[in-house]
Amino acid sequence: MSNAVQHIVIVGGGTAGWLSACLLAARLPQKRVTLVEAPDIPTIGVGEGTWPTMRETLSTIGIAEAEFLEQCDAAFKQGSRFDGWRDGSPQDSYLHPFSAPAPADMMALAAAWQAGSQQGPFAAAITPQHLVCSAHLAPRQRAMPDYAGALNYGYHLDAGKFATLLMRHATTRLGVTHVAAAVSGVTHAANGDIAALVLQGKEPLEGDIFLDCSGQAAILIKDHCGAGWVDRSDVSFNNRALAVQVPVQPGSPIAAQTIGTAHEAGWLWDIGLPTRRGIGCVYASRFLSDERAAEILLGYVANKVPGADPASLTPRKLAFATGHRDRFWIGNCLAVGLSAGFIEPLEASAIVLIELSLKALADNFPQTRASMDIHAARFNEMFRYRWDRIVEFLKLHYVPSARTEPYWQAQRAPETIPPRLAECLALWREQSPSVWDLPRIDEMFPAASQQYVLHGMGVPVPLAPGVQPSPARLAEVAAKARALTAALPSARDYLDRLSAQAAPPRIPA
Amino acid sequence: MSQHQILNPADHGPLRIHTEAGAEFGDNVMACLAMPAEFREVQAHYPIVFRRDAETGKLAALALFGFEAGENLFLNGSTWEARYRPMAHAVQPFLIGRPAEEGAAPQVHVDMKNPRISSSGEGMRVFDDAGAPSPYLETIAAMLGDLDYAWGESAAFFTALEAYGLVEPFSLEVTLDNGAVQSLVGFQTIHEDRLASLDVEALQALMTEGHLARIYMVLASLAQFGNLVARKNRKVLLG
Repeated sequence: MSNAVQHIVIVGGGTAGWLSACLLAARLPQKRVTLVEAPDIPTIGVGEGTWPTMRETLSTIGIAEAEFLEQCDAAFKQGSRFDGWRDGSPQDSYLHPFSAPAPADMMALAAAWQAGSQQGPFAAAITPQHLVCSAHLAPRQRAMPDYAGALNYGYHLDAGKFATLLMRHATTRLGVTHVAAAVSGVTHAANGDIAALVLQGKEPLEGDIFLDCSGQAAILIKDHCGAGWVDRSDVSFNNRALAVQVPVQPGSPIAAQTIGTAHEAGWLWDIGLPTRRGIGCVYASRFLSDERAAEILLGYVANKVPGADPASLTPRKLAFATGHRDRFWIGNCLAVGLSAGFIEPLEASAIVLIELSLKALADNFPQTRASMDIHAARFNEMFRYRWDRIVEFLKLHYVPSARTEPYWQAQRAPETIPPRLAECLALWREQSPSVWDLPRIDEMFPAASQQYVLHGMGVPVPLAPGVQPSPARLAEVAAKARALTAALPSARDYLDRLSAQAAPPRIPA
Repeated sequence: MSQHQILNPADHGPLRIHTEAGAEFGDNVMACLAMPAEFREVQAHYPIVFRRDAETGKLAALALFGFEAGENLFLNGSTWEARYRPMAHAVQPFLIGRPAEEGAAPQVHVDMKNPRISSSGEGMRVFDDAGAPSPYLETIAAMLGDLDYAWGESAAFFTALEAYGLVEPFSLEVTLDNGAVQSLVGFQTIHEDRLASLDVEALQALMTEGHLARIYMVLASLAQFGNLVARKNRKVLLG
């Protein structure tokens, strides 16, 4: 094995594998990239919400936005809406939008909203995106350059179609080698590194660095590198999901955000694409039976999806363990995607973690084996930090709730709240979340996100000395919201006309 | 071909207007009406000339965008390369309607055959979902009001020009970089010699009425012909 790190081998062909292949091939064109995929393993296909980071990712990879939207049956995602989380009453709803003003502006707006006795929803006072989302509008006009918008946005997409698009792009445009074979074992180098993958029916595949994108199986990082598991189910209770896909009526509005609706022992996701809605019931098996979960799921479909026939749907059941590896990068092997960890998809953290892992790897790519352990130690520290912040931020959605069911009471039992979150919550009674709480570059959930959830859940804005309420700025946001609502097309119009246009040149299959 | 309707939320609730520039939206015109009240803005971008109506003999002012019918040298794809567009052009596809009865308030009309009327689901909403005017319509309505007022008061300006004999025919002939000769005929401009020989009393009257500054705006605007010729040369060069 040569000392230079030249050949990148990726195991697994889901979203994580193909996104890794595309990004590494695009960002490190002098390296060789090979992806090995067992021919008969279905992808999980429920990671269907992205963050705004996906725009930069797709642009880096070199896929045009219209091509992506059309081929992945994608829609725009401008945030997440949480219904029923405070008390379950009909008017109980708040938005966590992707757009946020600069921190000082946000403080002034939040203070003005609080001082003005909380007129309207918190997020509506902070950003025009609230009104745009409630009118089901697209965040951009077709004439704008690719990946630019009047507001910050990500996507909802069909994960199966996305992996297919990425695969074609990687193999036909980016020079990635695709090997269809099951991995039956590995051979180790003298230093304990993975030297090669043993493939069923094929020659062993040597590589300099290996990415484990094998999903929950985690065949490299767990089985061959011995990474331990950090269980987080003491904080995050949900461990089951029932998922269905429901066709929608032509011309029906396409939701501008993911909708998460609380139920007695968990919540439901609702992700609108142009042709279907992906709806799932997430729950904790020690609080809810599978039968009751199915009842809740089909009841939601009957209530919320016009023209749907719940009786025709057969929910797919997923069981998951909440937690992550104790190390994500061991020797010359990195876990990317579900092999690194999993937590309920409440804030769509799965795909963005893949992007962040690849950004960290590509920005700091080890040129030789000699530097690899230094990079690995930094990577592990960074991603343990990220996982801790994710676990805490998701927990934040539950703690301020006043719902009375046993599940919800258990969610706010003090022994289930991570100490750092408990500290922050104590501080946030006196001062707003800020960079002092979340000091890193590329924090996944910066102060603005914490504020949207905290005040959306009804925790008052602390009126600290030194923060000047600015009613004039509130009026500016409202005026901007009116102007944007007038200027933006509906998401339905935008996406329908996109698919009606002359189809962009297709990549040969 | 036009189809004027009285604008109202019941009939035009979902109406959207293409507000960007473009030949497909009727921006490929060589001139449009300029109101004396907006000469200060107009002269900063375009030459202002007068045209005498062949039938009525009445004068009107025009901002020039090009030298030939259908030529707008400020139009570059979907960009209009000037910060200001004369009101009479900027209000399209809207216009002012006068109800039949005397003294009734003017109404906002819309020309549903204008190419700015969107049928693609894109463009600027005129009313919001509740039927209230959008900020765009508020701006347009204010501009229509200004235009209506400016039109009403413009007659006095042209009457004064005629009274003092301050208008003379104007023709322009320039040789372009490629040797072709570009000419412009049939327009009128300020008679500078007459203007220079006006007596104190006449000047005093013109100034008191607010006409004098506007007369000089028209004179100043002639310097914009240099720009217009430069644009024409660039267009010829780029084919």
